[in-house]
Amino acid sequence: MSHNLSEFVACSALTLPEALARLAESSDPERGPWRPLAGGTDVMVTMAAGTLPVGRYVDIWPLAELRGITVTDDSVEIGALTTYTELRAHPVITAEFPLLSLAARETGAIAIQNRGTIGGNIANASPAADTPPGLLAYDAELELASLSGTRVVPYARFHSKYKQMDRRPDELITKVRLRREPSPSPGQPIHYYRKVGTRAAQAISKVCFAGFARIDGQKLLTVRIGLGSVAPIPLRCVRTEAALLSGPLDEALIRRAEATLSYEIMPIDDVRSNLRYRRTVTLNLLREFLTRCQGR
Amino acid sequence: MKNRPLHIIGKARRRVDARAKVTGETRYADDLNFPRMLHCRLLRSPLPHAKIVSIDARRALALPGVHLVLTGADMPTTFGILPVSQDEHALCLDKVRFVGDPVAAVVAQTELLAEEALALIDVEYEPLQTISAPEEALSHPEPRIHDYGDSGNVHKAVALSFGSVEQGFAEADHVFEDTFHYAGNTHLPLETHAAVAALDPDGKLTLWSSTQTPHYVHRAVAKVLGQKPSRVRVISTPQGGGFGGKTDPFGHEIVICKAAMMLGRPVKICLSREEVFYCHRGRHPVLMKLRCGVKQDGTLTALHLQTLLDGGAYGSYGVASTFYTGALATVTYHLPNYQFEGCRVFTNKPPCGPKRGHGTVQPRFGQEVQLDKIADKLALDPAELRLRIVAQPGSLTANYLRVQSIGLADCIRSVVRRSDFSNKHRKLPYGKGVGIACSSYLSGAGMPIYYNDMPHSGVQLKLDRSGLVTAFCGVAEVGQGCDDVLCACVAEVLGVEVADVKVVTGDSDLSPVDLGSYSSRVTMMMGNAAIAAAERAREIVATAVADKLGVAADQLVFAQGRVFDAAAPEKGLSFREAVVLAEAAAGTIGTTGSYKPEKPAALFKGGGVGPSPAYSYTAAVVEVSVDPETGWLGIDKVFIAHDIGRALNPTLARGQVEGSVYMGLGEALMEEQAFRRLPPKLSSALVHRTPSILEYKSLTSLEMPEVDIELLEDPDPNGPFGGKEVGQGPLLPIMPAIANAIFDAVGVRIDEVPITPEKILKALAQKAAGKPGRIGPKDFPSVSYPAPLFVPTPWQGGDGRATNEVARPKDKRAKNV
Repeated sequence: MSHNLSEFVACSALTLPEALARLAESSDPERGPWRPLAGGTDVMVTMAAGTLPVGRYVDIWPLAELRGITVTDDSVEIGALTTYTELRAHPVITAEFPLLSLAARETGAIAIQNRGTIGGNIANASPAADTPPGLLAYDAELELASLSGTRVVPYARFHSKYKQMDRRPDELITKVRLRREPSPSPGQPIHYYRKVGTRAAQAISKVCFAGFARIDGQKLLTVRIGLGSVAPIPLRCVRTEAALLSGPLDEALIRRAEATLSYEIMPIDDVRSNLRYRRTVTLNLLREFLTRCQGR
Repeated sequence: MKNRPLHIIGKARRRVDARAKVTGETRYADDLNFPRMLHCRLLRSPLPHAKIVSIDARRALALPGVHLVLTGADMPTTFGILPVSQDEHALCLDKVRFVGDPVAAVVAQTELLAEEALALIDVEYEPLQTISAPEEALSHPEPRIHDYGDSGNVHKAVALSFGSVEQGFAEADHVFEDTFHYAGNTHLPLETHAAVAALDPDGKLTLWSSTQTPHYVHRAVAKVLGQKPSRVRVISTPQGGGFGGKTDPFGHEIVICKAAMMLGRPVKICLSREEVFYCHRGRHPVLMKLRCGVKQDGTLTALHLQTLLDGGAYGSYGVASTFYTGALATVTYHLPNYQFEGCRVFTNKPPCGPKRGHGTVQPRFGQEVQLDKIADKLALDPAELRLRIVAQPGSLTANYLRVQSIGLADCIRSVVRRSDFSNKHRKLPYGKGVGIACSSYLSGAGMPIYYNDMPHSGVQLKLDRSGLVTAFCGVAEVGQGCDDVLCACVAEVLGVEVADVKVVTGDSDLSPVDLGSYSSRVTMMMGNAAIAAAERAREIVATAVADKLGVAADQLVFAQGRVFDAAAPEKGLSFREAVVLAEAAAGTIGTTGSYKPEKPAALFKGGGVGPSPAYSYTAAVVEVSVDPETGWLGIDKVFIAHDIGRALNPTLARGQVEGSVYMGLGEALMEEQAFRRLPPKLSSALVHRTPSILEYKSLTSLEMPEVDIELLEDPDPNGPFGGKEVGQGPLLPIMPAIANAIFDAVGVRIDEVPITPEKILKALAQKAAGKPGRIGPKDFPSVSYPAPLFVPTPWQGGDGRATNEVARPKDKRAKNV
């Protein structure tokens, strides 16, 4: 129950410079720094539950600069305010980065998909978020802007600890950048996505697995695995990936990868599931992904 | 009325209130707004068990726009749904018993302001030890959550023995012993509880509330506020679902009445979803043990059923719930010897109560899964086993329930045929399975909640020269379609269109009492009362028309808006002309009808729970897919057959079956009213784990399978036009059919509800490791049940009395629900 609605402060920014200027203002001793409010699909839930700390929110929804998906020859740039609905429908995303459109498709209800944004999904920093595993599997980069300029951060290094990330309070995530694979690229591409929740839709995941690989015969040329809900952060499984690149993809390698992954993840018991289930399912999904890589 | 052809009853029709619901014009309680209306919010306890040391509301009252703060001391009289459990206060008086127990109320200009003022009320608590689970309640008689009940934290313990189970076990070829656990879950109606109270210009109180039981709310409001019942009017507003969650009188209803009386202004309250999880009154978590004796051919020789119910913090319907866990085991299958022991304990959690299938769902799960194990052991087809043991129609059961029609065998044959069960069971590939289960349910409780000899349902009709027939009845339209059934029954007897019947329902000032929308009683009782009232009206009209036409009254047909000579159909009048004649001849036309069930055959203490005018029967086959990688359980298809006696409006009846399947799937797969301890830095309080629809999951349309329904119609002699219930019974077989299908699919037994992927994977892992592939309770705790009442069965020459019961005064008879 929210007892303190009138203590919240909110304002709208109409341009990116205006939003960045707000974020650059010094922190209020009682209400903290300004925090960006995009689609609000996480903020409003915690507000209704009474668990949102009193604070100052700058609504960035009107910022045209943060909208749209730009495709060039070698990259796709997704504006931070791009909604799940837009991700689901975009032809280049669905063709070349299907893990993202699949994730968007399985996020929340239609109303949430119309409102929730990829930037918000990242900045909310939930380990159970749906798009981060796919972003990790595609080795995405983030562009952050502030009054002092812009910088680019590899997404795999963005989240540090639970709900902590490489973003200063004065910075706004403006873009997500994906590298397009040159055509032709060696090997066969495999995109594997599976979200395991309590039900088929409108459920936060118990385990979310996104894997991308290129395989040439028995040999994995590239493999990247992003996991949700099995660690304090969206987890890029670099050690498991390294193990998988160490030899031909046979049963022995799969076992080694399973062993590595079981130490790389850090699942917990919570309201949605338990540690044991998450570990078992993660390893089962790894095997399913690798079996698919083997073409079986 | 026998043998008249039916024109409306039995025909699929759009319900009379459909248009208003579809267009959004139906006015639910929260849609009511009045000039000068104020808003109420409740402060709820953050602790599960504590004494209230002091409440200081000065800061809240100082807030501009706050009109009133109420606390328990303002309404010290207790109330509760059952006369034996008057254990609630509108606001907690001296202690709180669960996180969410209402402690104070603020009435303010706006809802937001009232909400903000809650934070300004200072409550000092003295924490008491928390009783978090039934085992704890048994081992900790102190501190007592209530100062009444059978002992310590045992609210109610009962024991009944019919025939001799020892002899039955001695005659058995096999004795099966199984324990099961059924987790608690909640009703989850889309509409949260809402109510508005206002005074009329003469100071009389009116309460509009989303309640399934306006009559019992009327009694509770009058009692707590010390008002003459005639000075209180309760109106049950149309509801967006109740499922048993709105069958208790609630503190918030009384609070806003008190506030409206003190302030002289209308006051509204609309609970948040979180608060609905605290009101609860949902499915009791039940641990149960079943010992069942079986002959080699599947014949049951004896059943010994023990149940332990986690009642939560208040009595609610709990005494009845306890009896219900044992009452209906005998109506489905023939049981020559039966012993039942039940115990309900208090714990510091939101109170449990009646949810669709009230108390019978949990043991039905146990019995149906156990039968599947029995069939497996005896190498019998589980459908064939059930066909062999179906209870006998027109009989008296071991526990003296009078059963008329039983369509269960036909239900079983129907689902077996339609699902091709025999060719699928134990024959599908790994991961795919089918399971079967059956059930029965009462069509209305045979006894009222408070003992009295008055009708359970009354209907008044007004006919006048406009040709309109108005039907008045106190029933509560909770979405089940009682307004439609009332229209249909009256229209059928009088031969008019449903559109020519207007209903006035759920208003204590205008309509005669109906006890409420619970126990699947409305169609049975209101329907019979409506038929009786309509037959009387028909007689008045027929007499006048017979006179005019010179035809014998019993020669007249009432159909298609006309009254005419059966022998010469052209000779007749319109219904309106007929009423004009009758009004001229007999004066203003008003008739009444009422219904009261036959007295139960059971005369032992506790025998008031279970009797019903009729029992419905259901069989279901469920097809499932189990994904061994994730434990994911997919429901592929549900085949269900329901013995409804007669479907008064098949559209509504099918909707009830589909809704029951939907709710049953939610219970089977994912719903759980679960609790957790907060971290020590946050008080360690025992709190609801997921008091929001965000995390308390139920099915979406994506999990809902195709439901293949057959309604079997074998009219019951007691039912209106032969009809029996359909609102609750079809839920019962779903959960056990799924558990049985999982065993068929992957060979593991999940003897618990809900059946989650976590449990399935764990059972599969155990099985792979060579251990039993079963998830479920390992044992049943030691419960001090009382010495049983011994009741000889009818076939032992018994008369319905216990042989060892001391005589008791008549008004102390067990109350029914």
